[in-house]
Amino acid sequence: MTAALAPARPGAAADRTTFVALAARETRRFAVNPVFLFAVVMTAWTTWDYRKAPANAVGTGNWYPWIFLGGFGMMATFWLTRSMRDSEPVVGVTPTTLPARTAALCTVAIVPFLCGVLTLFAFLHFHPAGARVYGAFSPPAQVAVLVGQIVIPSLGGPLLGVALGRWVRFPGAALVLSLILFGWVNVATFGSLSHPDSAAFTALRLFSPFAFFTYMNNAADVTTWRGSPWLFIGWQLALCATAVLVALLRGADGRVRFRVTRTLSIVLVVAAILLVLAATGGFPHAVHA
Amino acid sequence: MTASISLRGAGRTFGATRALADVDLDLEPGVIGLLGPNGAGKTTLLRLLATALPPTQGEIRVLGRDPEVPAERTGIRRRLGYLPQEVGFPRGFTAFAFVDYIALLKEWTEPAARHAEVRRALDQVGLSDVATKRIRAMSGGQRRRVALAQALLGSPPVLILDEPTSGVDPEQRVTLRTVLAEIARTSIVVLSTHQTEDVAALCERVIVLDRGQVRYDGQVTELVRQAAGRVWLADQPDPAATVSWRTGTGRYRNVAAHARDGVEHVEPSLEDAYLLLRGELPDSQPAKEVAS
Repeated sequence: MTAALAPARPGAAADRTTFVALAARETRRFAVNPVFLFAVVMTAWTTWDYRKAPANAVGTGNWYPWIFLGGFGMMATFWLTRSMRDSEPVVGVTPTTLPARTAALCTVAIVPFLCGVLTLFAFLHFHPAGARVYGAFSPPAQVAVLVGQIVIPSLGGPLLGVALGRWVRFPGAALVLSLILFGWVNVATFGSLSHPDSAAFTALRLFSPFAFFTYMNNAADVTTWRGSPWLFIGWQLALCATAVLVALLRGADGRVRFRVTRTLSIVLVVAAILLVLAATGGFPHAVHA
Repeated sequence: MTASISLRGAGRTFGATRALADVDLDLEPGVIGLLGPNGAGKTTLLRLLATALPPTQGEIRVLGRDPEVPAERTGIRRRLGYLPQEVGFPRGFTAFAFVDYIALLKEWTEPAARHAEVRRALDQVGLSDVATKRIRAMSGGQRRRVALAQALLGSPPVLILDEPTSGVDPEQRVTLRTVLAEIARTSIVVLSTHQTEDVAALCERVIVLDRGQVRYDGQVTELVRQAAGRVWLADQPDPAATVSWRTGTGRYRNVAAHARDGVEHVEPSLEDAYLLLRGELPDSQPAKEVAS
């Protein structure tokens, strides 16, 4: 007997076509995830609620987007990544490789990223650049601060969730990491408040992906901390790229593994350089306004 | 070109445990039954064939491709349907959504064609009427059929099935036999099961594994023929029998290693032949009397 060696389906599509279709499917699954929907609603509500609270605008109001879009977004992508774990015996022998599936999962971060962009516009609408609450930064640098605080965490949190989902078995890993980051940001923030010129707290703050650059010390005094918001965005983006590459490493073999490892090495070096530049750039010392 | 699978000295170890050793096989289109006791290496062999696991010794070629080379492995997977022994399902998925998701991973990117193929596969396993039901709300047999449906997508040239009829009702088992027999006209179907009646009904060829090695590889009819004259009915269990058990009629079915005269011989079944083969293997100790 003979059997045709034709593909198992008519007209085999290119890998790219499969990737696009899979990315669209995963994005739809993410967009209707109850955790993510809750995050979107809470982000919208808190942004609206803080529209008339300029004294706390930068120091408090923009905590919420990164908590909800970043932290809850991380939990949602973590769940999405793990959702097929039990089906891996079937899913794992399809022609779509694990790195390709991981890449498709990473694309869902576009959704919270866009939500972050919308939140940024809303925030700037309620608290236009140039307001005293932003401290001593120039208007473009003020926008950079907000991009680093609102938009990039909305992208980075979900990407970190994919990497966690691929590498960590513990089901509560995303929640634990969210709490660790939250605690870290608090420690770094309050440390910077009490020691605004401290190099140690600058390094600690910059190592925290959701760090601040300015804060209301009290109702009449704004402190702008040392460090460069522009280079901080670069550092954050390097962290996002690191999360993607670490996620892609899972299941990669042959040439793909070599390429991912090589790119990851380069990104880590770039990230380290950006961290140093972010810490040493900007104001050399805290500025009170 | 003939679709084929070949294994040469293939083996697999897990730490110090040798699950499979020195397996030489050539598989051609048709249904090939895989029998063996628990821990014989059946699932390991199927996982090797399905590219889910690399061999630690020897070589495997599936449709002329080497599963250890990433690009060739992907080529194999494009032509493969695999039903593992255990499949978990993601929360909230319906039968249609799950099979549709797998179809997407199998590169069915055009929605209309994919949906038609998913409906066809679900229809083959008799799940058309519950396609929109959540899998978690389904019975064990229905879940098994959902898992089987994804393996049947695209009528692949290689179909690897690990206990496909486990938990499936008799009526559906007969339907599935018809489906598999049809697919086997052009495809290699490797079927691992503990249901000897499925093998007897479907397979021309049977492979018996024991402790990671092939103990029998040949025609089902030849294996059954070897048991001729060694199976008989009696009112009492016969001390000379290797195995005996009480049947539904109240009489005892005796299966012995040696032919016996002067008894009421009956037509041996594949199960009789399998039990005899197991009894003849060194260190095998099948139960003397099996509960009916």
